[in-house]
Amino acid sequence: MSSQPDRTDLRNLQDKTAIVGVGTTEFGAIYRDLDPERSAYELGLIAFREALKDAGLKRTEVDGVIVSRLPHYGRMCEMIGLRHPRFVNVLPGEGRQSGIALQYAALAVANGMADVVACIYGNNGRSAGAKYGGESRGISTQAMFEAPYGMTSPGAVTSMMFRRHQYRYGTTTEPLGHLAISNRANAALNPNAVMQRPITMDDYDGARYIAEPLCLLDYCLINDGGVCFIVTSAERARDLKHTPVLIHATSQASDITPVYVADDFWHEPMSQIADDLFAISDAQRDDLAFAQLYDNFTPTMLFTLEGMGFCEPGEGGDWITPERIGLHGELPLNTGGGHTSESYMQGWALHVEAVRQLRQECGERQVDDAQYGLYACAAPLATGHILRRGD
Amino acid sequence: MTTELQTPELSYEKPLPPVLELTKPFWDGCREGVLQIQFCNICDLPWFPPAEACPRCLQDDWEWRPISGHGTVWSWIRMWQKYFPGWSPDEYPYTVALIKLEEGPYMYSTLVGIEDKDVSCDLAVEVDFRKVDDEITLPVFRPASR
Repeated sequence: MSSQPDRTDLRNLQDKTAIVGVGTTEFGAIYRDLDPERSAYELGLIAFREALKDAGLKRTEVDGVIVSRLPHYGRMCEMIGLRHPRFVNVLPGEGRQSGIALQYAALAVANGMADVVACIYGNNGRSAGAKYGGESRGISTQAMFEAPYGMTSPGAVTSMMFRRHQYRYGTTTEPLGHLAISNRANAALNPNAVMQRPITMDDYDGARYIAEPLCLLDYCLINDGGVCFIVTSAERARDLKHTPVLIHATSQASDITPVYVADDFWHEPMSQIADDLFAISDAQRDDLAFAQLYDNFTPTMLFTLEGMGFCEPGEGGDWITPERIGLHGELPLNTGGGHTSESYMQGWALHVEAVRQLRQECGERQVDDAQYGLYACAAPLATGHILRRGD
Repeated sequence: MTTELQTPELSYEKPLPPVLELTKPFWDGCREGVLQIQFCNICDLPWFPPAEACPRCLQDDWEWRPISGHGTVWSWIRMWQKYFPGWSPDEYPYTVALIKLEEGPYMYSTLVGIEDKDVSCDLAVEVDFRKVDDEITLPVFRPASR
């Protein structure tokens, strides 16, 4: 092997940049109002407008734009009247990219390529009839070697991983039920959440299977929405409207295979990210006021908790208890309701919730002593950040 | 060894793989009852799905070599959701398995000759073949006899 890179260089980004504005569409309201003419750009526009207002910035002060799930940066820039941005990028519409968008924005600002970067996401999946499965055209691996067996969808591969976890460690679906119920309980305190009716373990146990062993309540929603967060330097952030939320530590790791799944449930990339974050941060696991964990499907949260060392591999099923993960527990998880109950914004709304918790704006669902919070996404391309309240 | 998947007069509506220049030897092999994957002639690495070069050497000096057809069930699911046309109502839920081939690579497939209640991760399996049409024969897996 070649010499290992010095990952403590990640310290170079520590507390240099901040999220100074966040905005979203009204997730619940438009869930009940399908509109085939609703474009992802329109949703991105609404979120951008909200985030600008939240930050107290003028449109013309934005000089960097990163879009995701929006097919083209050009249309978005055109619609928000940015003719001469000096840092622009487009990331595909997959959940792994939300944390990466924040990383690119932080890198750009910290290195002088932009002063104010707007990260904009728009998703009209529900109105457009997105199914997140069933693709069989083209010459992809999926079309050639998976679809002929009826294999499709991110949920099915996650279900494969969870079944393996069950086999290897004796994990039951009960902890997944706890995660789904907890997400829903948090969403019930979030006026912007799509799903607000609390659920019970009976509801969970009675939910129909999608890709067994996973059931409907393990799955993210499919809904329309837009999200924007605005990043600038920590220095400039001090003069803006809100207490800045600093990008205190951030890291990326990966395990890219042809079949998506990982034999170790992504322990290797997630433990690498945890090592990075806790090596460079003042905060350790006990100091985190919450964790916003990517929950395309509930097992992803379990894999993240194990991978990041909140418990040992295989012990996630016992570790996940309602008391521990609730709003006033040891580690409140997905305080806004997550993808299964608040909104499926592919990690973007989890970032917004983290910011609002650290700014202590969350009303009934506000967690205690929010100084440091975690975002993490376990996937073949994995990310994690510790965000810090910057006062 | 190869058996008909269905009576020919019924149309087959499940997704069928496009056959590319790169993947044709794979399907030619299946039609003959031989499971083969690419191996690097320089470093002997096997890989699947097909690719234009060895992912280790990055050279295109490779060949298709028959493999043992043996492996284990890494994991498996029962699909209840109707994502594709072609599966009749009485086929749900259908089984999809992720096979870890003895040679290392993984392959999605389905299981035959076993009831779901008897399936377990790490079950030893071996390849079998199901003819779909004159071009495509799908590799499937059944409990290993050895």
